[in-house]
Amino acid sequence: MNRTLGGHLRLAFFLGGVGLHRLTAYRLDFLLGSGAFLVRVGLQTLAVGVVFTHVPAVAGWSYHQVLFLLGCSLLPRGLDHLFTDQLWELSRKLIQRGEFYRYLIRPVNPLFSLLSERFFHPDGFGELAVGAVLVLWSGAELGLDPTALQWALVVPLVLCGALVHAAVKLFFASLSFWTVTSMPAMQAATQVSEFAGYPLDLYHPSLRTLLTWVLPFAFTSYAPAVYLLHGSTGLVRWLPVVTGLSLLAALSLWRRGLSRYEMTGS
Amino acid sequence: MRAGTYVPFVTSGLQSLLQYRSTFLITGVTAAAGAAVTVFLWRAVYAGSTGPGPGGFTPAGVTTYLVVAQVLAVVHANRVDDEVAAEVYRGDIAVMLVRPVSYPLVRFAACLPVIAANALLVGVPLLALFAVLVPLTVPTPVDAALFVLSTAFSTVIAFCVNLLTGMAGFVTTNTWGVRMVKQGIVSFFAGQMVPLALLPGPLHALAMVLPFRAMADGPLTLLLGRYEGVGGASAVLGHQLGWAVGLVLLCAVLWRAAASRLEVLGG
Repeated sequence: MNRTLGGHLRLAFFLGGVGLHRLTAYRLDFLLGSGAFLVRVGLQTLAVGVVFTHVPAVAGWSYHQVLFLLGCSLLPRGLDHLFTDQLWELSRKLIQRGEFYRYLIRPVNPLFSLLSERFFHPDGFGELAVGAVLVLWSGAELGLDPTALQWALVVPLVLCGALVHAAVKLFFASLSFWTVTSMPAMQAATQVSEFAGYPLDLYHPSLRTLLTWVLPFAFTSYAPAVYLLHGSTGLVRWLPVVTGLSLLAALSLWRRGLSRYEMTGS
Repeated sequence: MRAGTYVPFVTSGLQSLLQYRSTFLITGVTAAAGAAVTVFLWRAVYAGSTGPGPGGFTPAGVTTYLVVAQVLAVVHANRVDDEVAAEVYRGDIAVMLVRPVSYPLVRFAACLPVIAANALLVGVPLLALFAVLVPLTVPTPVDAALFVLSTAFSTVIAFCVNLLTGMAGFVTTNTWGVRMVKQGIVSFFAGQMVPLALLPGPLHALAMVLPFRAMADGPLTLLLGRYEGVGGASAVLGHQLGWAVGLVLLCAVLWRAAASRLEVLGG
């Protein structure tokens, strides 16, 4: 009965609700935590603003173009936050403490059951809101006039970007099936994703290659941004392929890990 | 109370550190990536200028500022906030209060090996890596000596800031959010994201009032020789010393208040 779409949705809402309940245990800290990303994004925007009080353009990018790119990077990141943050728990402790078995004994897909324990955590909504404000405001300041095709592609672009984020997270979290905990590797990957908040043109070519073809964070922000700003499709046409390959790599590693998982007896 | 009392806490801090050797690698990768973002961004700003650009920085000067700011951030990541927060959260702090030692001093002793290890195993390689990749400024011997002294002061301030962050757990129990906010604010107002001299008027005034500039901007002012004679150097060091003393006193007062209202559930 749980195999229908409706059943899955009901289950996701229920498990996500339980997760939200758990959060309210430490109310003050939870509020601070939700505000923390606002502080971080606010300071990052401020730092960009300070840069442009000294120069009119950086690597060919104007102030509003850089903010547009920053907004573009926040949208897929926020969407990904809403759905896959339980992967952090997988890499941190679920394997290490032998708690992972609970996803294997439920009559649903283990990945779905894992992820739905942490749906709709509020910090993701904040990133989506700030990202949307930055994109709309800087887009208006730039006098951007997207074509019908560009409008139509906005949602798929954000969706693919979120899937790339999710794939990288799933890949590094799945490493914990072999290494017991993979939190440090995941943190390093997240730190690398910060590069995507700025124009790729700033970086050394080797770093650009890394961000495009190894950890493809360029496709979550830079590629969509240059497409929407300048209409250049050189990178963005690879987005479906990159998304597909990233998901394929992450899911196959996850499956291999799942099949070799052994619980610590106690 | 003798200093010898706290030596076992230094050695035990060292031992627990060696259990997690891989964290040094990750701290290094994270710090290198963080420094690279700001260095690439600001080098692009100074790309056109041959002489001193905005704020009187040369391209090599601003690069040195940002890289060494990141090294200082690594040195200041002494885990005191994490440790104190965890002990308050679990209630283990009650056991520490029974012992005939001062808990803040125990934490200080235990964080010394963390600071040394971070400096040697992460800070030095990070500096070497960037020295190979980008041109950096070589300081005069006097400036380097003043920088070392100033870094010692900044370490005390970083300890106090992290201790206070961990002690926020007495109010909020869980401190994930508090630590996130602290990290963001410190990294901006210490000068890691933007050299403080480049901030516009009101923001610059705010940065001058807050204590965090003593953590990175102060030592860097001395390292890069951006001060006027003996008076300028002693103003920087005096500011740091003032905040160090003030924060130590604040920690002592708040610790007493917190310990007296502590409630731990028995198990």
